[in-house]
Amino acid sequence: MLQITNLHAEIAGTPILKGLTLTVNAGEIHAIMGPNGAGKSTLGYVIGGRPGYEVTEGSITFNGQDLLELAPNERAAAGVFLGFQYPVEIPGVSNVQFLREALNAQRTNRSEKPLSGAEFLKLAREEARKLEMDVEMLKRPVNVGFSGGEKKRNEMVQMGIIDPSFAILDETDSGLDIDALRIVGDGINRIMRRPDKAVMLITHYQRLLDYVRPDFVHVLADGRITRSGGAELAHQLEREGYTEIAA
Amino acid sequence: MTLLDLPSTRAEAWRWADLGSLSAAAALASIAAPEAEFLDLPGAKLLFIDGKLDEARSDLHRVTITDLTADDHALGRHARGLGWSLHLATQGVADPVQIVHVATGRENHLPSEIVLAEDAAATVVESFVGAGWQNRFMRTRLAKGARLMRAVRLLQPAGFVSLREAAEVGEAASLVTTFLGAGGQGSRIDAQLTMAGQGAFVEYGGALLTSAEQKQECAVRVNHAQPNGASRQVWRAVAADRSQVSLAAAVEVARHAQKTDGEQSLRGLLLDRTATVNLKPELEIFADDVKCAHGATVGELDRGAMFYMQSRGIPPERAKAMLTRAFVADALERIGNESIRDAFEADADAWLETAL
Repeated sequence: MLQITNLHAEIAGTPILKGLTLTVNAGEIHAIMGPNGAGKSTLGYVIGGRPGYEVTEGSITFNGQDLLELAPNERAAAGVFLGFQYPVEIPGVSNVQFLREALNAQRTNRSEKPLSGAEFLKLAREEARKLEMDVEMLKRPVNVGFSGGEKKRNEMVQMGIIDPSFAILDETDSGLDIDALRIVGDGINRIMRRPDKAVMLITHYQRLLDYVRPDFVHVLADGRITRSGGAELAHQLEREGYTEIAA
Repeated sequence: MTLLDLPSTRAEAWRWADLGSLSAAAALASIAAPEAEFLDLPGAKLLFIDGKLDEARSDLHRVTITDLTADDHALGRHARGLGWSLHLATQGVADPVQIVHVATGRENHLPSEIVLAEDAAATVVESFVGAGWQNRFMRTRLAKGARLMRAVRLLQPAGFVSLREAAEVGEAASLVTTFLGAGGQGSRIDAQLTMAGQGAFVEYGGALLTSAEQKQECAVRVNHAQPNGASRQVWRAVAADRSQVSLAAAVEVARHAQKTDGEQSLRGLLLDRTATVNLKPELEIFADDVKCAHGATVGELDRGAMFYMQSRGIPPERAKAMLTRAFVADALERIGNESIRDAFEADADAWLETAL
């Protein structure tokens, strides 16, 4: 599904990713772990197409398509979802309005019929209920005044509504208490644990991986993957830290 | 009128004025009168073509046409003679008054007056369409407890609209006025609002949207002459291409106008770096127990928000339109009447569709 080959990327002339290669197949969940500053978020942003991140070498293909050739909204329409570590607040734009625009833009791009207001509201309410998010929050401006945990839960509601085929979730576990972590973890499994979908979980800690069991764990250090293994590698990292393992 | 009759841009209150546009607007060739579209509201409907009432297509209700004087303002004084007048007696309530001003080229001048007696209430919505220079004078007098809600939209594709407003707001009376500049014309809104009674309330602001080489501006002065008054000025400016919006909003608080609560929020959004937004909030406070806040910011669309929206599949043009609409929303949401507010929001949306 996703093929990253010898990826080099920099921000304002500073190299961050230095030859990263990774393959993610449909039906797989990959965890990317690593110390601060290793390039984990940069990897997410480069896949999502954030301006300011320049790819200097290498390639990313998604279902055989050159992802780097696509604008961010086209990547979303192709099925890529980026869950933000720090979701942006957008005053004056309601969650409902934002999500309906997003979903219908993607449906239009895929030559599907846009959902009516009533159809969309039904879908949004159902998704909010499943993630135990107060339905009233759908009417509020996007992420404005939300706690850290509420923002992450809102990201999952968005993912549930948009229903992507591939999700990069950047530290979705940060800011969550134990109950919220379970709800978000269950949400990821429910929405994305399917044979035709894949997930890249970027995380510092083992705790989310107790709920969303990865098929592969990779250690990202100094811009490249230095070690890969199964779920047990995450436990080893938790016990021994990155210093020894990432070297 | 010639340009020599007008103040120089060296005068502080006129420093951003686009005085050359007045003569250019007045020289515009004649056009066929565009369709005058009234909103679906009960009440008076007045149609002015080039400053003259079209009686056949108007329904005056409580509005009268009468001889009016203007103040000595450089632009306002040219609007005198026959104009429209709304007088309401104590506790009188009129259905909304709609006025459409159509210009078919050249220049026209029209005075108007709203006088509300104690506890009277009125809603007035005005629209400017066509091409040419439309110059208006409005005198407002609100007695104790009176309430006036005005909404004014400037939708001329070409030309200029100048508005001189002079208001006296009495004890516990309320004046709420919202402007929308969403046409292609130049404009100047020039207002002197005096809070002449204790506990008076004034809310005065709106959204000015410009593109191409267009210039729109306002110069508003709110004078708190009595204690316990509250004023709010919320202006939003959106400028694209090489256009310019200038907002100057001043608050004066007299020595004995204690417990005054004044707030000015002037915010500009540049859609292109070749556009200009000038902001000038001003406070002159002579009382010592007051609360006056002013904020002035000019910025561009938030790049983080743009990427966030695009990452969810929203195309960049649409993301830009949604963020810009959100930016002007808090200026327009102050319009109390839902039908009028919807119409103004639709006008702002139509501008966004063409400008972005």
